[in-house]
Amino acid sequence: MAIDGLIVLDNAGRPIVQTSFQSTSPAYPLIHIDAYSNALAKVSRPEDVDPVLYVAGIDDTKRSACCHVGCGGLRLLCPVSGDIDPLFALAFLRTFIDILQEYLGHVSASTLRDNFDVVYQLLEETLDSGGHPLTTSTNALRDIVIPPSLLNKLLSVAGANISSLSAASSNPFASPIPWRKANVRYNSNEIYFDVVEELRAVVGRNGVSLSNDVLGKVDTNCKLSGTPDMLLTFTNSKVLTDCSFHPCVRLPRWSRDKALSFVPPDGHFILMEYRYSPSSSANPSTLGVHQVPVPVMVKPSVVINESGGTIDVTVTSRLTTRAIEDFSLELYLGQGAGAPNFMVSGGGSWAFDPRSLTLRWEMANMPASSSHSLRGSWSSSVPHPRPARAFRTKFAIQQHTFSALKIDQLRVSGEQYKPYKGVRGRSLVDIEWRW
Amino acid sequence: MSFRAGPRKGENYELSQDLNSEYRDKRKDAIKRVIASMTVGKDVSGLFPDVLKNMQTEDLEQKKLVYLYLMNYAKTQPELVILAVNTFVKDSDDPNPLVRALAIRTMGMLRAEKIIDYVSDPLQKCLRDDNPYVRKTAALCVAKLYDLKPELVLENGFLEQLHDMISDSNPMVVANTVAALSDIHETLTSQPGYSPDDPALFSVTTNILNKLLIALNECSEWGRVGILGALARYKTDDEKEREHICERVIPQFQHVNGAVVLAAVKVIMIHMRGIRREDLLKQFIRKMAPPLVTLLSSPPEVQWVALRNINLLLQKRSDLLQNEMRVFFCKYNDPLYVKVEKLDIMVRLASDNNVDALLSELKEYASEVDVDFVRKSIKAIGQTAIKIDSAAERCVNVLLDLIGTRVSYVVQEAMVVIKDIFRKYPATYEGIIPTLCANLDELDEPEAKAALIWIIGEYASRIDNADELLSMFVDTFTEESYPVQLQTLTAVVKLFLKKPDVSQGLVQQILNTATKDCDSPDVRDRAYIYWRLLSSDPAAAKGVVLAQRPPISLSRTTVSPALLDELLSEIGTLASVYHKPAETFIGRGRVGADSVQRKGQDLVDDRSDTQKALQTVAAGQQSENLLDFDDVPASDSQPSGLAATTIIPQTPAAANLLAGTSANPLDDLVSIFGGGGGMTDTPSAPQNPLGGLSFGGDNGFGSPITSAPPSQLGASSVASPIQTQKPQDDLLGLF
Repeated sequence: MAIDGLIVLDNAGRPIVQTSFQSTSPAYPLIHIDAYSNALAKVSRPEDVDPVLYVAGIDDTKRSACCHVGCGGLRLLCPVSGDIDPLFALAFLRTFIDILQEYLGHVSASTLRDNFDVVYQLLEETLDSGGHPLTTSTNALRDIVIPPSLLNKLLSVAGANISSLSAASSNPFASPIPWRKANVRYNSNEIYFDVVEELRAVVGRNGVSLSNDVLGKVDTNCKLSGTPDMLLTFTNSKVLTDCSFHPCVRLPRWSRDKALSFVPPDGHFILMEYRYSPSSSANPSTLGVHQVPVPVMVKPSVVINESGGTIDVTVTSRLTTRAIEDFSLELYLGQGAGAPNFMVSGGGSWAFDPRSLTLRWEMANMPASSSHSLRGSWSSSVPHPRPARAFRTKFAIQQHTFSALKIDQLRVSGEQYKPYKGVRGRSLVDIEWRW
Repeated sequence: MSFRAGPRKGENYELSQDLNSEYRDKRKDAIKRVIASMTVGKDVSGLFPDVLKNMQTEDLEQKKLVYLYLMNYAKTQPELVILAVNTFVKDSDDPNPLVRALAIRTMGMLRAEKIIDYVSDPLQKCLRDDNPYVRKTAALCVAKLYDLKPELVLENGFLEQLHDMISDSNPMVVANTVAALSDIHETLTSQPGYSPDDPALFSVTTNILNKLLIALNECSEWGRVGILGALARYKTDDEKEREHICERVIPQFQHVNGAVVLAAVKVIMIHMRGIRREDLLKQFIRKMAPPLVTLLSSPPEVQWVALRNINLLLQKRSDLLQNEMRVFFCKYNDPLYVKVEKLDIMVRLASDNNVDALLSELKEYASEVDVDFVRKSIKAIGQTAIKIDSAAERCVNVLLDLIGTRVSYVVQEAMVVIKDIFRKYPATYEGIIPTLCANLDELDEPEAKAALIWIIGEYASRIDNADELLSMFVDTFTEESYPVQLQTLTAVVKLFLKKPDVSQGLVQQILNTATKDCDSPDVRDRAYIYWRLLSSDPAAAKGVVLAQRPPISLSRTTVSPALLDELLSEIGTLASVYHKPAETFIGRGRVGADSVQRKGQDLVDDRSDTQKALQTVAAGQQSENLLDFDDVPASDSQPSGLAATTIIPQTPAAANLLAGTSANPLDDLVSIFGGGGGMTDTPSAPQNPLGGLSFGGDNGFGSPITSAPPSQLGASSVASPIQTQKPQDDLLGLF
């Protein structure tokens, strides 16, 4: 495996943090930065740059590839040489971003600059100069790299000796369970499960979903003392398909009786991810029959003429008891679009972003069974505008899951206390409506 | 210690003052500022002695920062690093395991010759440390040491220690040990002329295998990828053992990290080869599908890698994901690179059952905003038509609808695609020709024009005003691009052969123009050949120009079978993403002690296997080229074409041709005719020059040799970019 290093570029394409690239020539990181900015210059949208760029190198013997992902205006480049899995590099980049988020809260050029000492320590601990990712679980990392906190800053300003505090754990990695810190103590023992499901669908002109997927995950926040051994059972585990689990889950137990047996990590983690298919995917070719019903109805009508177009969209909530939150509807109006003039009835507000040429309609709250509409027109400097062929709607529904996944029981063994347990459901929806 | 007499003011001077301050926090702050300057590219190497003084500290964070500074300047100032050695050695005995690990890790990273000799003793201790964190850090250090000075590793018995550490109780130590051994293995195998008995080769034995399988379930995701990589290299002839490995690896499909999933897929694909039980194979394939589909809900860059690998897997195992076409439907907001891959896979999965859904999707895509994507969607419609006979008519209707939109690039692309459909289904869709001709004025791209002209020429006898249409192109002949000129020339000759009475003048005019006023040698030479054929033997001309063409089909694979197998054993690597063997694009990316570049190969003969596979690829491509030339004669079911191609390399002129050294192509052409004529057992006259001609037409006139195998004719003329398509089109157009 050969992840050669990591470079963080700010939004102007300048490197702000990079690993030391011990075993390569000093030009090596530079040609990768160059390769990325060249590729960026060739595409109209920054997200269209191929995720793995081939880098020819200075001479013929130094060919490599550059994997990159974006995050909050930053670009993280990962030069790789040798025939390795690009997914390995990409997965590492994502993990590193997660770690930064955990440590800094908000990842941006300025937070990186402010905490560069922490970022460098994290880089040293997570990526070996030989290209092997080392410690990436934040549970273990917190033992060896102290997160920047107000307290630390105050103490250092006050000139106090914080070295004694820094030695947070005199015996790191002594825990027999790699993902869990040893000797965790909480005053109140709590564990929360957030079941978050996301419906992604494409709805055709006739109102029938063409593709329809529900992806779920169980987001867990664990604040339990000691080494609890948990057993989680569901009343309707049949609805879960294509599951993938946090490494803490004992897989044989799951395949035997669909129960999750695990010793949880400390803090936030994703316990499992799954796909929900209503017919338990008995026969996927009949997908049209067993589909998750789409919770809203969008009736779009778009008319395009010589110098612009008119739009009339009506959105009706099909939910009878719950409200829809954070509703947004977007449409790219095509090259040369301008002079938008729209009216909303029933609530919300619209805006037009002249940079991305996108019309956006937002509603914070949409009561059950309510109906709303957006009407208006725009003009285009280009004759016969070609707007996007689909509206994109996004919204959230609280206290609701498509799969109706229900936790039956949570048993804790190995510890004496009785933890407080909380379960919450939430749904996100992301639908494309063709017109 | 040599102090440089620096300037008495400025930033560096102030830093130096602060680094020597009597206050601890002031010194620490100064170190941070030094690192900050260093990272923005300022030269702070002058502060080396000052920073070094701060190395011995209780504060772990400060120590880390000083180490960071050392690592950065070790390369440029190795003589100064030697000053730090004592502290390193001392730190590797520190009661705090973090300090011990930090010291050993930094020493490994420094890559300075001078410091290496001091590493052995501390490393020896750290490999036996009580703390697993120190042990796993030390394991990786061995690999780095080997990279710099292999003999040191061998002398100190570090290799044996590593082998012992595979049995370590801590799975993370096992994982790092495997990573270190694999690194050493790769370093060794990337050097030419290593001995197959070298102890540094990491061959997985049955004993090691079991330990790896145990550690696999307990270590971190990165460790798992490394262990799976080692499992993929494990060689066994025992079918039961292979089954056992597969069964133990399959649970890894449920890992959240895509890299682990792909590494597991790779192991299964490799060990499946030795398994003969059909039911097991089916079961493995069935279990492989869901995790691959799950990867498609990841961020776009992960999707892309997954899609490229799925594309490859589908070429070997078309039954994988049979019923899952809907998950590949493109979302409006997908980045272009994801959409393009999805299109390709959708066509691959197309079958009678899902073709309707596919076509309505493709039609939808063809009306989107992005021009590149629209073109690719229209191409996909053509590919579907060629792949599924029963759906061809529906495809043609969709294409006609699209032509009806009158969007210029849509019409042009549809035209090109329809030409291929005409080739696949001759004399089936003549009814749409008038619609096509009605759009003549909208065409401005050479490829689209050439396509329409080809259709007009091919169906000249059924188009009443074919001569009028073609004469429009003849009038503007010299202004057109070469592909259009070539097609016009051929179409007019076809027209003449089919309707001699109306086009006598036209053919005269074009032959005149093409031979006298045209500056492309390809066009001139083709015109000469036609002229000669027409004037000497019209019957032969008919036989040549109106010969039946071989049918085209959509190939199931885009790479040759030998290469496919090689790539499949590299699933989840750059090779599988680029669909090319690693050797063709990966060089030696590092300097210094020339560490690992190649993907690890197990044994010497393993390497030669790869070599062999590559040779097969190369040889396959050569023979495919030759076969290409056979196409036309072979379709006449005469052996002459083959005979002609075999004799050609024997004539010196042809050898020149192949070597590309010939100065005068016409001479060569003549000598080829001569060579061909010299063949005693050629059955009939017209076919013999035919073989020679096609050869000459392809090589002598400087067009590149096509590398597509004949079975790919359809695929390449539909899917591949214009450049590779041209020679074939020329070749076919000629006849």
